[in-house]
Amino acid sequence: MALMDSTATPGAPARYAAFFNNATVRSVFYQVLTLACVVGLIGYLVANTIENMSQRGMSAGFDFLGVSAGFGIGFALVPYQEGDSYWRVFVVGIANTMLVAVVGIVLATLLGLVVGLARLSSNWVISNVARWYIEILRNTPLLLQIIAWYFGVFTLLPRPRDSLGWFGGFFLNNRGLYMPAPVPGDGFALTLLAVAAGLVGAVLFARRAQAIREATGRIVPTAAPVLGLALGLPLAVFFVTGAPLGWDNPQLRGFNFVGGLNIPPSFCALIIALSIYTSCFIAEIVRAGVQSVSHGQTEAARALGVPPGRTMRSIILPQALRVIIPPLISQYLNLTKNSSLAIAIGFPDLVSVWMHTSLNQSGRAIPIVAMTMGFYCLVSLAVSLLMNQYNRRILIKER
Amino acid sequence: MSDVMTPAGSAFEATPARRFTPKPARPAPASTLGLRGWIRQNMFSSAPNALVTLLGLWLVYVFVSAIVSWTLVNAVWEAASRRECLDQVGRGGACWPGVVAWIPNLIYGLYPKDQVWRINLAALVLVAWAIPLWLPRVRSKLAIGLSLVLLFPFFASYMFLGGEKGPVWSALIALGLAAFFWVMATSAAEIATGRSFGRLVVVALGAAGRSDAYRRRLHVAALLVLYVAALAVTASLSLSFVQTRLWGGLFLTVVISGFGIAFSLPAGIVLALGRRSRMPLISLLSTTFIELFRSVPLITILFMFNTMLPLFLPAGVEVNQLVRAIVAVCLFASAYMAEIIRGGLQAIPRGQYEAASAMGLGFWQATGLVIMPQALKIMIPNIVGNFIGLFKDTTLVSIVGLFDLLSMARAVGEDTRWLGLFLEPFFFITMIYFVVCFSMSQYSLNLENRLSAGQRR
Repeated sequence: MALMDSTATPGAPARYAAFFNNATVRSVFYQVLTLACVVGLIGYLVANTIENMSQRGMSAGFDFLGVSAGFGIGFALVPYQEGDSYWRVFVVGIANTMLVAVVGIVLATLLGLVVGLARLSSNWVISNVARWYIEILRNTPLLLQIIAWYFGVFTLLPRPRDSLGWFGGFFLNNRGLYMPAPVPGDGFALTLLAVAAGLVGAVLFARRAQAIREATGRIVPTAAPVLGLALGLPLAVFFVTGAPLGWDNPQLRGFNFVGGLNIPPSFCALIIALSIYTSCFIAEIVRAGVQSVSHGQTEAARALGVPPGRTMRSIILPQALRVIIPPLISQYLNLTKNSSLAIAIGFPDLVSVWMHTSLNQSGRAIPIVAMTMGFYCLVSLAVSLLMNQYNRRILIKER
Repeated sequence: MSDVMTPAGSAFEATPARRFTPKPARPAPASTLGLRGWIRQNMFSSAPNALVTLLGLWLVYVFVSAIVSWTLVNAVWEAASRRECLDQVGRGGACWPGVVAWIPNLIYGLYPKDQVWRINLAALVLVAWAIPLWLPRVRSKLAIGLSLVLLFPFFASYMFLGGEKGPVWSALIALGLAAFFWVMATSAAEIATGRSFGRLVVVALGAAGRSDAYRRRLHVAALLVLYVAALAVTASLSLSFVQTRLWGGLFLTVVISGFGIAFSLPAGIVLALGRRSRMPLISLLSTTFIELFRSVPLITILFMFNTMLPLFLPAGVEVNQLVRAIVAVCLFASAYMAEIIRGGLQAIPRGQYEAASAMGLGFWQATGLVIMPQALKIMIPNIVGNFIGLFKDTTLVSIVGLFDLLSMARAVGEDTRWLGLFLEPFFFITMIYFVVCFSMSQYSLNLENRLSAGQRR
């Protein structure tokens, strides 16, 4: 057949068939078809939206951002007053979301690490306690856990008058957690400066020690100097300048506490539920990571006379981290996204103050939805860029 | 061999007294044997270990005894109101009568009591439809599974919704019903005789020796008979209309996650193929869709569809809350499913694609016959994991005002008789979620082990 086609002059139908079977032609055809469908669909939706909005007298502009929002926000990390603009509300929402994410990530990592190591324990009781902790908590919905912590624990706490108190400065009641607020005095800036200097010094020292070790094989003890720089220096400066830091203790006045730092119950419930839920997934990631390092590595290290602590630090962990870090980061991203469930218990995060309250008040559905989704997209885009960089760096160098 | 052995053998014969006789093995130390040994090794191997064990046991004791005493020992089982419960045990024990009285609502929501049989019947059909997938003698599993995902929703939608049905709608419902008849017939035929329904019809009519075309026509005729029967059944069914506002409880949770699962599998396959496509535009569009839906929280998508869907559609078209939520969940689930399927496709070695090409298979044939069957096998654990996530995530629809299991549990405490009852219904639905999710995850683990048996040595 092929021979005949190439020698004989093909007739018109055969030429068309060859044309339509050409891979490039087909690919262009399908792409144009898809584009036409997508453009048509989007055009249809946009046309409908424009018509619906003009019918309801809605506007899609961003001009409302400067208008005063006119509602209060129960908890704001950045200063906010009722008369502030919608733009300010957006910023408050982002700040609150980021606060929940950061605190939640730190707690979830610590808890997940502990549970993951417990799961690996050779002690039968401990590894089973960890196992059932993980199974029970990750097989129930997060929203259910958040609501249970909020309505089942934090709102059932005693009134301020009968607060649970610890150390005279910490009080827990149905209005949240009260704790002493630090009040920096004159010269406290010096201590902060010392903290920064100490941290930089510690990092430089550790790097220098590693460089010396890699160049000469000599092990420079780092623990004491690093601790001294990072902790000792700031403490020394703090006490030399006369300990310029006061504490503002919360005081019970009438029906409520005055002064100190108040953390609302919704924040407490959200953080506890989020970090416990995420810790289950982190624990499984830690376990998989440690188990992924072949046991031969431990045995080889011991055969070379490397002590157990150093084996863990310098041989097992670096290899395990390569497996642990990528899924860990995606759990962090999940936690950040899950913090949007705050709306169920009234904590003012981005979705709650912006996509719910502001949207209902201003009616500007399109800009508000676009801004909220844009924020989350930006966060996950930034994180995945960092991840790709990291992955490229830790890729096993094959020779 | 024997040549080499001879000198050594003769040396032994010369001095029989020096022959090596191993001593019998000594028994293992008593401390490592039996239950005592096991306990010693796994719980009390060292002093710190023993301490940690005791601490762990104490923790377990405190936790378990608190739960048991609250749920069972101190619990009240018979009372007319929460007041009576509180008078009997205070807050020290659970007040179960409230939950028991609400169980119908927790399961069916506000669905009319006299119509609940429709939900039960659809659930029974679903179970009957799915069971053949696990029976080893049934061979048409692919067709049964596909029909379950694609055609059962039509039948179920009518059972749940009821009301007027036009000709198109009737035809679709009958299609679902006919598929069910076919599944039942073919699985019964395959279990009993090892032949599919179509072959059995051909044999029964004594047409086994006739030409292929004739037998195919006979087969189609048999399917048509099934369809006509289904049409007759559909026409005779006339169910009253039940508004989706009344749907709720576990039923609604299952409906939403079921739609999400049924939609996300085919949509995820299309998106994953699109993302891996060599056509730049198609790959770009698929990637954008997947990344957009994966990077935002589900609740923002639910809110978006809640506020934007009425704007997107022509004026006058009403979309109820349930449809908005289902659309949001479906799109969200398909983005995640697409990434799982892409992962599975990536795990298939290039050689498989090249071999399929060399055999002359086109793209769709290679994908459908060579790549997908292998990839799906690798993906099953992740797909089940995605289903578990979806089932848990449906709780979010309670935030946009649907009465799913979680909302119904919170509604118990607003009933005047059971005012403030919160922990008991929550404990109950936690158990439901846990049992469903845990058994799914254990099943997927089991499946993973069985499917990877070929790779193990």
